[in-house]
Amino acid sequence: MPVILQGLLTILIGVGGCIGYFFLSNMVLDKVIFPARGENAGRNINRANAVRPWLFLFPALFLLSLYLVYPVIGSFLRSLYGRNPDEFVGLGNYISLFGSDDFQQAFFNNILWAIFVPAASTFMGLLVAQLTDKLSWGNFAKSMIFMPMAISFVGASLIWKFVYANDADIGLINAVRAAMGFGDPVDVVQIPFWNNFFLMVILIWIQTGFAMVILSAALRGIPEETIEAAILDGANPWQLFFKIKVPQIMPTIIVVWTTITITVLKVFDIVYTMTGGNFGTEILPSYMMDFMFRDDGRATAIALVIMIVVFPVMYSNIRQARKEMR
Amino acid sequence: MRFKTALVAGAAVSALASGMVQAQDLKYPVGEGDFNWDSYQAYADAHDYSGETISITGPWTGADNELFSSVIAYFEAATGATVNYSGSESFENDIVVSTQANSAPNIAVFPQPGLLADLAARGKVTPLSDETAAWITENYAAGQSWADLASFAGEDGETKLYAFPYKIDVKSLVWYSPEQFEEAGYDVPETYEDLKALTEQIEADGGTPWCIGLGSGAATGWPATDWIEDIMLRTVEPAVYDEWTTHGIPFNDERVVNAINEFGYFLQDGRVNAGREAAANTDFRDSPAGLFSFPPECYLHKQATFIPTFFPEGTVVGEDADFFYFPAPAEGDLGKPVLGGGTMFAVTADSEATQGFLQFLQTPLAHEIWMSQSGFLSPLKSANADVFPSDSQRNMNNILTNATTFRFDGSDLMPGEIGAGAFWSEMVAFTTGSQDAQTTADNVEARWAEMGK
Amino acid sequence: MDNIAGQKSSLTWATHISVFILVMLWLIPTVGLLVSSFRDRDQISASGWWEAPFAVELTARGRAATEATPDGDLYVVTGNIFDDEEAQSYFPKGSDDVVAFGTSGRNPTEHPAGQTADLGDGQSLVVNADGSYEFRTPEKPGSRGQRIYFAAESPPKFTLANYNQVLNSDGMGRAFLNTFTVTIPSTIIPILIAAFAAYALAWMDFPGRGLLIALVVGLLVVPLQLALVPMLGLHNRIGIGQSFMGIWMAHTAFGMPLAVYLLRNYMAGLPRDIIESAKVDGATDFELFLKIILPLSLPALAAFSIFQFLWTWNDLLVAKVFLPSDDASKVMTVKIADDLLGSRGGDWGILATAAFVSIAVPLVVFFSMQRFLVRGLLAGSVK
Repeated sequence: MPVILQGLLTILIGVGGCIGYFFLSNMVLDKVIFPARGENAGRNINRANAVRPWLFLFPALFLLSLYLVYPVIGSFLRSLYGRNPDEFVGLGNYISLFGSDDFQQAFFNNILWAIFVPAASTFMGLLVAQLTDKLSWGNFAKSMIFMPMAISFVGASLIWKFVYANDADIGLINAVRAAMGFGDPVDVVQIPFWNNFFLMVILIWIQTGFAMVILSAALRGIPEETIEAAILDGANPWQLFFKIKVPQIMPTIIVVWTTITITVLKVFDIVYTMTGGNFGTEILPSYMMDFMFRDDGRATAIALVIMIVVFPVMYSNIRQARKEMR
Repeated sequence: MRFKTALVAGAAVSALASGMVQAQDLKYPVGEGDFNWDSYQAYADAHDYSGETISITGPWTGADNELFSSVIAYFEAATGATVNYSGSESFENDIVVSTQANSAPNIAVFPQPGLLADLAARGKVTPLSDETAAWITENYAAGQSWADLASFAGEDGETKLYAFPYKIDVKSLVWYSPEQFEEAGYDVPETYEDLKALTEQIEADGGTPWCIGLGSGAATGWPATDWIEDIMLRTVEPAVYDEWTTHGIPFNDERVVNAINEFGYFLQDGRVNAGREAAANTDFRDSPAGLFSFPPECYLHKQATFIPTFFPEGTVVGEDADFFYFPAPAEGDLGKPVLGGGTMFAVTADSEATQGFLQFLQTPLAHEIWMSQSGFLSPLKSANADVFPSDSQRNMNNILTNATTFRFDGSDLMPGEIGAGAFWSEMVAFTTGSQDAQTTADNVEARWAEMGK
Repeated sequence: MDNIAGQKSSLTWATHISVFILVMLWLIPTVGLLVSSFRDRDQISASGWWEAPFAVELTARGRAATEATPDGDLYVVTGNIFDDEEAQSYFPKGSDDVVAFGTSGRNPTEHPAGQTADLGDGQSLVVNADGSYEFRTPEKPGSRGQRIYFAAESPPKFTLANYNQVLNSDGMGRAFLNTFTVTIPSTIIPILIAAFAAYALAWMDFPGRGLLIALVVGLLVVPLQLALVPMLGLHNRIGIGQSFMGIWMAHTAFGMPLAVYLLRNYMAGLPRDIIESAKVDGATDFELFLKIILPLSLPALAAFSIFQFLWTWNDLLVAKVFLPSDDASKVMTVKIADDLLGSRGGDWGILATAAFVSIAVPLVVFFSMQRFLVRGLLAGSVK
């Protein structure tokens, strides 16, 4: 119980503190430091307005720099040291990582994830969005497909164990195989190379709903006239979809694609709970867990490699954002 | 003001409630049965920690958690202290994080001496007194070896006793169903050669000899490392085993590769239930179930003393299931080596009640309570073996006390990154058949060699 | 003309059918979990959840009684196998549907029920469908009765026992409360902080604005694993250590980039006239924010809070690092991953139930607030 009280208290203090901070700091700025009266009234208003954005931004920037910017820099520095934090190894961690088979495997798998999951989720999302567009029960269908978004990765892994289990009496896949007359059950998370895809399916299952929702709104945003004109020109449904609609919503498709890519590169839970990284399914975030708190130099080096992999996505995201700002 | 009163009242209610729970929770009423109640009374008279709380974290979850709690209940009843025990599957990770966060519990129960040695060297563990060391040497069977096992170099480089060994597992056991053996006409093998002959006979009779399961969440693979260690003890001198666990010889020494290949013998097609690939991913807690199905999915299962906890409900050890010593080769002079493991109680945040708890563990009663239930062996000579609920458990304890060689689980002695990392995952890869013994040993060695740099 | 109409309707049908198939594909795994959580442990391992409504054939064993009546040269033992204690442990309520029987564990279903089996040495045994048996033997039975293996149909059984166990005895209740304790402050506090920042980035003019927006977008992709090691160290130095306080701070900060990004995009899309006319009327930025921007941004605020709620509820990694590992502060994801998966590795019923309990609240939140989520998401992504 005390924890709950503490929680309530924190909500009160946090919320009250936030409101109090913004309210008081504004008041101090306007009334005390740069009062909008006296001979400098005009100049003071301008000065206050120059400072105010930073008042608004301060808490967010503070947290961001503390929890995200500082660790990036701190991790980079740490990755230059060895297992022992006093021993400077330069790029030694990176060099030995890239020489290790396990790392190469994890890196390769991670690239597979980063290509396949966003592609498949976006494609499935687009497909469902188009199919349900004019359907009377489309909204119901959409919420069913959107639902896995609410499920934790740990929960999702458990759910999929009932599909993948190596036992025709528990796992659905093996039950279907048995019904079709294949003899021995297979353990799908152990099939070399392809097991990666079986794990990816779980994330695709989760992310398709996200892609679907956004793409379906984008499809509806296409002006009616464009579509009517195409129909009058004799376009069949396929042409209409691929030649008219898809190019129209291309920017949205790219946003969805990059957003999912970012998610993919952060997820470690699925591999951790399904295979523990065994059977050649290791990916970088779960590989990093092997080293965390044991050899922090190497763990941070892996984290930075993940960041570098994300770099192209980050770059395109920033360019996109700047374009929007014209 | 009202707020504060409510809090205090709440605390009082919960204290009352926990007091009531304690009183009901004692597994056996004080004074009944073959237990050493005198030791308990003497302890209770000398210690009073009313109102104090100690926290313990350890690797025991589920059924084991309940068993340990039944022991704790007597400590609470004797001293009035409250003990909060919490178990976690990822205990090894959690304890490292919490010692770094200075939120360590009073006592941590280590299944891995390697990790404990690591923390001791970093000054995160409080050493125990010399009297405790003397007590262990005197009162435990093979006491010196136990005291040595729990002694490490501290932050200052001085070697001291850092933990109290309690709850020992014997790992060199093979489980079977006596009734199925009887029906099929099989005999318990006396030598390692006989065990192999039996394996081949079962296979020839159309059965599957072994159930093996390596699955254990993030710790997947450890049962295979037990196999390798037991085989090592049966193929090389104990001194070589010691060198192996301390990296005195490289991990890819031919004798280690040979041991891995020996394990491969038992994994061959037709010798392990559902095949070697399934073995690599079957949960170790599920794997013995095959002994008890009709028709039996397997006849033999190698696992430590604790495994009956995971047998199907209602299985009686001694009737439905029994065990034999994983036999040593007839030739050679390796005697009867026994591989074991054990948990070590170490102080990670000292307090008076914490020391009191460690003294409680020195009473025979603290051993007998768990002995009388399941999955517990003790080298404590003064504990009354009569309290074991079955002959088979007494026999198990005899294996422990009669061993000519006792060696601690090697993977627990290796540094965490090897013994709780590379060794596990490489053995999984070997078990699935995706790499041979030489590659397996080479990979572990590469990782270990790199750590030295 | 007819042709086109026909094509169109067949296309519509194809659409209906393919959407139906997709929805089924998406739902089946979750339904499996739900069904399994109501099933009995033995039944789960004996038949798949899709067979849950049907009887399951279980193989069991028992022993014949030891009292025999002489009949000529032979001794006859009669009785019902379901009277045997061991058989009862498999079939507490008995069964009327014994399918087959046998006398060796290696071949437990050698003989169909009702057929007399010759066991050799002059012995014979028959077990009928209702479990009654007759065992004939030339020698007087010893103290142990004849071993009988049999397979019988066990009726489908649905139970709340799993829920009972998970919610009461396994500490899940505590974990459930802890999850709430982590989630709610971690959802509310970041919204406020982010809303102010988003407003500044959307509607205030100051040097470096573009750079800051780029920074936020850049930080969106920083893997939070990076922050774990250094931040835990920092928490220790300032005395927070592993605690609820620490996890609230961490979640607030980790949610910040998405919050600022989503809210800024939404606020930037608000009509310029409203804001400018308010400014002309002499409203300060603070008033403008409170009275106009916040109410207008409700959909985006709601969307983010749903997002953040789901994310903190479902989080495993942050909780593992920033919360102590004792039972008193475990959240549900940690409880399932580190405790239940370990001690109940093979107990599928318990696992399914635990998983379902953990996803129930997010599902309710999700379905009741889906509309907001969609609207807010669109604000962030569609331009």
